[in-house]
Amino acid sequence: MARDGAATEGPITAEMRAAAEALGWDDGLLDRALDYGYSPRTLVSALGTKLAPSQAKSFLDREPLKPDLSWMDAPTEWGVRAEQADPEMGLTVGDILVGSYGEIPELWTDRTEIARGSNPQEGQEDMGYTIFEKAVVWADSVSDLYERAIRDRWAPATDLGWRSLEALPDDIEHAICQVMTEHSERAYAEATVLGRWLPEVSYGYLEMKLFMGSVIYDLARHAEAFRKRALSNGGGLGLQAPTDLIRGASEARTYPELMAYLFVQDSAFLTFFRHAGDIAQNQLERDLYALVASDRERLMEYHVDRFDAFLKAMPDRRLEQQRYLAKAEVRLAREWDDPAVREPLLLLLGGSRDNAAEGEAALHALRRRQVEEYLGHLDSVGFIRSRLHSGLAAYLEDPEEASA
Amino acid sequence: MSAAPTTPELDLSWLDLYDDPTSAEPTKKGLTLDAIDIGDYASAEDLPRDMTPRLRGAASRENAHRMGLTYQTKHDVWADQCRSLYEEAIQRQWSSARDIPWDTLTELPDEKERAICQVATMLTEVEFIAGDVPGQWLPHISGDEFEVGLFLMTQIMDEARHTDVFRKRALANGGGLLQQGAGLGLRNLIEAQDFTEMSVLMHVQAEGFVQSMFRMGELIGPTQADKRIFRMAAQDESRHLAFGVMHLKHILSETPERREEIHHYLDKAEERSAGGGSGDVTFPPVFESLCILLGGGKDRFDEGVAKFLLLRRRQVKEYLHRLEVAGLGDRSERLGPALAQYAN
Repeated sequence: MARDGAATEGPITAEMRAAAEALGWDDGLLDRALDYGYSPRTLVSALGTKLAPSQAKSFLDREPLKPDLSWMDAPTEWGVRAEQADPEMGLTVGDILVGSYGEIPELWTDRTEIARGSNPQEGQEDMGYTIFEKAVVWADSVSDLYERAIRDRWAPATDLGWRSLEALPDDIEHAICQVMTEHSERAYAEATVLGRWLPEVSYGYLEMKLFMGSVIYDLARHAEAFRKRALSNGGGLGLQAPTDLIRGASEARTYPELMAYLFVQDSAFLTFFRHAGDIAQNQLERDLYALVASDRERLMEYHVDRFDAFLKAMPDRRLEQQRYLAKAEVRLAREWDDPAVREPLLLLLGGSRDNAAEGEAALHALRRRQVEEYLGHLDSVGFIRSRLHSGLAAYLEDPEEASA
Repeated sequence: MSAAPTTPELDLSWLDLYDDPTSAEPTKKGLTLDAIDIGDYASAEDLPRDMTPRLRGAASRENAHRMGLTYQTKHDVWADQCRSLYEEAIQRQWSSARDIPWDTLTELPDEKERAICQVATMLTEVEFIAGDVPGQWLPHISGDEFEVGLFLMTQIMDEARHTDVFRKRALANGGGLLQQGAGLGLRNLIEAQDFTEMSVLMHVQAEGFVQSMFRMGELIGPTQADKRIFRMAAQDESRHLAFGVMHLKHILSETPERREEIHHYLDKAEERSAGGGSGDVTFPPVFESLCILLGGGKDRFDEGVAKFLLLRRRQVKEYLHRLEVAGLGDRSERLGPALAQYAN
């Protein structure tokens, strides 16, 4: 066997010896490594990594590591080959719900970080999750909603025609800015409330968390886009949004309470954005509202599907939900009466402050739609609202009849 | 019968708030957050602050609720360039369903398929917590620094995609999930009690280690799809890492007295796990699977070990470099022993 410093060429070349010397490796280390059974290729790799002398010694001056490889036989389902159901959508989260990996447990019992379907490692720490019941968080649509959210993403900076904005009468511009201020804050605040709940949900319900991540991302862009509109056409930000509604969401003690509460708010906002073309003053705003509404449709679909599954799985908690809905309704009704919420809409729907009466009728119609669609969402899951808050019920009356 | 909606007199006081007409101009990159950081709406240290949900620049309501404790100084959460990092995140979103060439997956030798599935099992777990941590901190960020909150919201989306893409990889090519990771260091991230502690441990240390590994994806990934996954994920991690480095730089510049405290967080994290919060790559199932992938097979395991050592050296060197850029260059003098062996 050639030794370091020897002139003869063998498995260890002169270049290799020079490199080892330059790195300060022990004299003879390469030869000893070869004797231990390391291949010349491994020695070249080791030299290429420029290991420090101590590292090189601890790696090469011993028998090669024998891998244990017992992890290769982990008792998990093997041989899975997920197929794309729809080539247009690609390989979706729904596509990988196959075999045992597609079984969403009614009760998830592992308190660690473990990925659903992998083999548990003993002795792992409790990660502090608090949600272990499928019925609490799950909707069968979450995988699809998540992939749709990614497919339909848009960018406020570049997908809206910012250069198309033209000056508007001051009152109108300021009314728009007030609406934008309100909804920028509402979107941002809802994202922060939802974010706080992420660490509560374990990997057992991964797909729901993926979807919730996309909701938070949507809300971020909504907060951003509304703020940009407020600051781009000679206006500015107005009065901060009322805080009753969002405060109620942040007070929720459980995820079902939060979701029931947000059901009211998110339904009302979805209807608002669906019909906000009526207050839009230009194409940019029409586009903005339509894009936001499209995102909020997904969120509402989750609410409806989750609520449906929850009520079926936990019928004894049906009555309790009435309380959370009532709490949200009273706050929503109060905020609808807030001058900085109501009056900008009167101006935009009426066209000017002198035409507030026409605006009043249009706003009444909008609020009515919001209440009707909210009740429709509840109705779609067979939930009868026992006593709709009077502040919302009032909008179901004909305004002329009501004032008579 | 319910009461009819009232029609009170118009108040219109909200119309009188606009004494600084603002018209942000779109840039080549569209109307960006930087473009609207103007006039009275610009970010600043000395702003009238509150703990309500009010976003910077909006007029305060006298009756607004507080929403819990939020940081009341900008530097506690700020990172220069967080606005441009946010815009980049929006522009560079990708789809794990459609942007990965899943059709390039080919049948691999069993040992390689198992190895990449083991790595994917560890990574889907690690990325899972990386989405929880920013969510936990959102309520503590003041609306005066809402851009930081927006950036964290994009991170939540990024981490969701990473969690999903590694799970997809494990289930797409005749394999499956394998052994749960070691978990070491992951709790560090969720245990943080301060924004800077969280950011240093998650953005700089954990995501830094992950980033160094992803950048070796050309060597680790056995197929084009795998290489692409690592490339795309690395691109996202770069933003998170940049945020962390910029935040650390900012906090050290504004509050140099916190230097020793920050070292202390790193001392603790480096003691606890060789991989920080990035998932412990020295955990045998992960170490062995990486060596098989890096070496090119079980029978070239030694060669894989040599390349693994290169990976560790890169992780540690890049970690120290990032800390140096942030102003914590003296970290190299007190690095924990599990990492110090790779620092030379």
